[in-house]
Amino acid sequence: MSLLEVNDLKIKYRTAEEDVHAVNDVSFSIGEQDNYGLVGESGCGKSTIAKTILGMLDDNGEIAAGSVQFKDRELADLSENEWQDIRWEEISYIPQSAMDSLDPVMTVGAQIRQAIHKHRDATKAEADERVAEVFEIVGLDPARTSDYPHEFSGGMRQRVTIAMALVLDPDLIIADEPTTGLDVIVQDKIIDKLLEIQDEVDSSMLLITHDVGVVAETCDNVSVLYGGKVMEQGATYDVFMHPTNPYTMGLQNAFPVVDEFDEQAISIPGSLPELTEEPTGCVFRNRCPFATEECEDGHPPLTASGSQLSACYYTDRADEMREAAAEPETWGIEAEDDRETSHETGDVILETDGLEKWFKQTQSFLDDMRGTEPDYVKAVNGVDLTVRQGEILGVAGESGCGKSTLGEVIAALQPRTGGDIYVDGTSVDDLLAESTKKFRSQVQFIFQDPFDSLNPRQRVKAAVAEPLKIQGYDQETIDRRVRETVSDVGLNPPEKYLDQLPAQLSGGERQRVAIAQALVLQPKLLICDEPASMLDVSLKANILNILREMADKRDIGIIYISHDLASLTQIANRLAVMYLGRVIEIGETREVVQNPRHPYAASLLAASPQTDPSVNRQRVLLPGEPPNPVNLPGGCNFAPRCPKASEECRKDEPKRSSFKDGGHEAACYFPVEDVESELLAQYARNRGETAVQPVDEGSIEESVEGE
Amino acid sequence: MSFRRFLIKRTAIAAILTLVAVSVIFATLRMLPSDPFSGLVASGALTPSQVEELRALYGLDEPIWVQYLKYIQNLFTFQFGLSLTQQRPVSEIIGPALLNTMVLLLPALITTAIVSSLAGMYAGWNRGSWFEQFSIITTTFFRATPIFVTGIFLLIIFSYGLGWFPAFGMRSPMANPEGLAATYFSLDFLKHYILPFTATVLFYSGDFLMLARNSVVERKGSEFLKLHRAKGLSEMEQLGRAGRNSMLPLVTYFALRTGMLFQGVITLEVVFAWPGIGRALVQAILNQDYPTVQAAVFIMALAVIVMNLTADIAYARLDPTVEAGDV
Repeated sequence: MSLLEVNDLKIKYRTAEEDVHAVNDVSFSIGEQDNYGLVGESGCGKSTIAKTILGMLDDNGEIAAGSVQFKDRELADLSENEWQDIRWEEISYIPQSAMDSLDPVMTVGAQIRQAIHKHRDATKAEADERVAEVFEIVGLDPARTSDYPHEFSGGMRQRVTIAMALVLDPDLIIADEPTTGLDVIVQDKIIDKLLEIQDEVDSSMLLITHDVGVVAETCDNVSVLYGGKVMEQGATYDVFMHPTNPYTMGLQNAFPVVDEFDEQAISIPGSLPELTEEPTGCVFRNRCPFATEECEDGHPPLTASGSQLSACYYTDRADEMREAAAEPETWGIEAEDDRETSHETGDVILETDGLEKWFKQTQSFLDDMRGTEPDYVKAVNGVDLTVRQGEILGVAGESGCGKSTLGEVIAALQPRTGGDIYVDGTSVDDLLAESTKKFRSQVQFIFQDPFDSLNPRQRVKAAVAEPLKIQGYDQETIDRRVRETVSDVGLNPPEKYLDQLPAQLSGGERQRVAIAQALVLQPKLLICDEPASMLDVSLKANILNILREMADKRDIGIIYISHDLASLTQIANRLAVMYLGRVIEIGETREVVQNPRHPYAASLLAASPQTDPSVNRQRVLLPGEPPNPVNLPGGCNFAPRCPKASEECRKDEPKRSSFKDGGHEAACYFPVEDVESELLAQYARNRGETAVQPVDEGSIEESVEGE
Repeated sequence: MSFRRFLIKRTAIAAILTLVAVSVIFATLRMLPSDPFSGLVASGALTPSQVEELRALYGLDEPIWVQYLKYIQNLFTFQFGLSLTQQRPVSEIIGPALLNTMVLLLPALITTAIVSSLAGMYAGWNRGSWFEQFSIITTTFFRATPIFVTGIFLLIIFSYGLGWFPAFGMRSPMANPEGLAATYFSLDFLKHYILPFTATVLFYSGDFLMLARNSVVERKGSEFLKLHRAKGLSEMEQLGRAGRNSMLPLVTYFALRTGMLFQGVITLEVVFAWPGIGRALVQAILNQDYPTVQAAVFIMALAVIVMNLTADIAYARLDPTVEAGDV
């Protein structure tokens, strides 16, 4: 008997112009104590399904057909009052953005208690006791239940929402992108917690995510959604080991994996179908490399193929397709013949020497008068980097490590507080003194958010032409260069795009316009801050490929800043890992990824989820969180969390060249030899000793010393 | 920063501001081109030597800094001196007028703050409903109409037309030999009270309604309300949480408005012949009655500063993130 059964569900959103068919004939069922995954890119209908199961569909959405049965009860017909009884008592929910999912003016304990009091007849003491219990389950200190949400970090807030979801022992927990927006190490700890809880409590879980890696590591069964349709369904292992649907293959291949080097990233060409009418053919046919005329005849039914179900007319050719799908050419990406030569890099284009950016903390007027030395946040603290022509330098690190500040300081968008920057051998100060315009034409920046960084009222042509106008080129040159650049970034034919407004473009297209804007001046150095992080997996690869191509063809030096290690390893020649303002490890990408020497870099690399369900990865349970960057203790910044730290580490900060092997450097006295035994096993062991997550630094140190 | 430090810092700032305000008042009035006695000389009613005597009597012949110090000292002991034109203590002039104004405006403001804010929250929650549109149009209408126009219409309809309420005749509360309570708790007072009270409530309702509505609309799509809903809270409980999260602008506005009440609303007082602080101040200015003007302006400034301080403290109590931030 299954717990939740969704049958032929159709959901429509009414909009002013036309209806949007967000979900079309989706069926799946979740058994008792099952971990079920719904995976797909944005717009595939996965969140709509989650909202339907909670009865929280937007006002303009309606269930057009089909049924949602929960414990043999039809959910589609419930009144709002009946829903209020079911919510949380039987179906609870872990929201996507833990940062703003908690009521900011209510203590976290009160918010959880509220759920108890709403559904159970409990005294405050009983409720408090239960809150403390769930706090312990998720690894939070029960003494902190009377704190407010802003006193917790992002990862801890997500633990609070998980605790809240568990508090009434619901039969089903819906987790909507529970780890999206968290740093990779925190994500790994949350996933570990979810799985551990899964073993302890009897709830089933419906996990909704775009992250193939997370699904592959956590779910028993999975449905792959695209355009409101189920494309493939079955046991997670089967679906990702032997995908039989071209979309699954594309999605999985497009998903970057940390230890795949030099492989050209795969992206699925085209964009999502308009869902304004019910699909008449296979929803994926216009992007599918294997589509034939037959695919026009209605969306293929889910048919058994191997041990899973797949919606494709050609499931019998699955093996053949799988082989072809691994080749970038299949997806319309031109192969670079000479990948090897592309890695020859030219002269040094950028050099930073002891670069520093310290932010002064405000202090009281009296302290100012007394001349007390203010506290600083050392966002960038003595960073030495070089970038050569045609080279992509990846800068990796968790949020708050200073990587974005580093980018902005190099681009002179923020003044630096110390050190030197040389572009093409000339100091930035001299360049700026000579001509700001000239400097700007040499160093360009691409921002994270393609939705905000383009002027919504400016057409593509005007947007791309603007930098040239500022530099004072004549109209003819401007027209020619704009056309060339737009075409170079893959917006072909350019005529089609030049007169469009940003609102008419998809996210991927917008980011390409942003790249064109940066490239049109033919800069020597390009700084990209998370340029692909807002894009779906299938489009992300596209942006990576364009950047790689630009570096190779135009001999530009690129600094690619990202928290996404997998994307970095795909395009970066060299990789720098930052922690609290310092570069703690740098070297050839392959060297750093395969033999990370710094314990932090090694942990970070080991925490990336794997899309291959057959890999059994040891989780990274790095204790604590990066300390408050104000008033850092002396010695190695990572020492308080490091299982290998000794007295020496706490006293003297290791130089970056403490470990040196050719171009590979790591700021560690005791370079890691074996990640598994030296770090991951240690983390797991430490955690066993201190069941509750240490909260402040003091207790972290104790737990380390207590080994 | 701890709450105590926050409190000390804010209070210190408020005290400094008060001193600055007081000094500005003092300096401004001394810079005026004439004084009340020069007129008397010009009209020939007093000889210059008599004026000198008078100036000495009021201490105006002393050096300016001595006057300033005495002035400060007296202000902070709430001794406002004698009125130059009415020959009685300033506190006797200002006290009753201020009391009358507060009796009228404060209950009106509190009423509208509560009723209109709740209505605004409800309107924001039910966005697009007839209630929302109706409430916005009505209250904006009254907000846009000058208060004396509303007052005049109320008078025309309910006093002169229907004859339900008196149009004027409110006296100073001190004029009643049986004391304050007898003045304010009488049916007669209620009759005088209702029309100006209504005019004030209508006038202020638009601000609170729009503020409350807008902040609830802002909160409505937020993630935490979604989570509250998923927890099974009813519509009204969700609205309660949305309202709780919308308190900040409302409290700020309420505090600022309360501070400004101490200025009175001159037009309202004139239309309803209400002997309040606004009228007292205008009269004192026209008569160049320094001590009264100084005292009235001082009280107004102090009220605004104190209410700002109250708003700051209320913030820290209402929004736990305020304390954490650098304030």
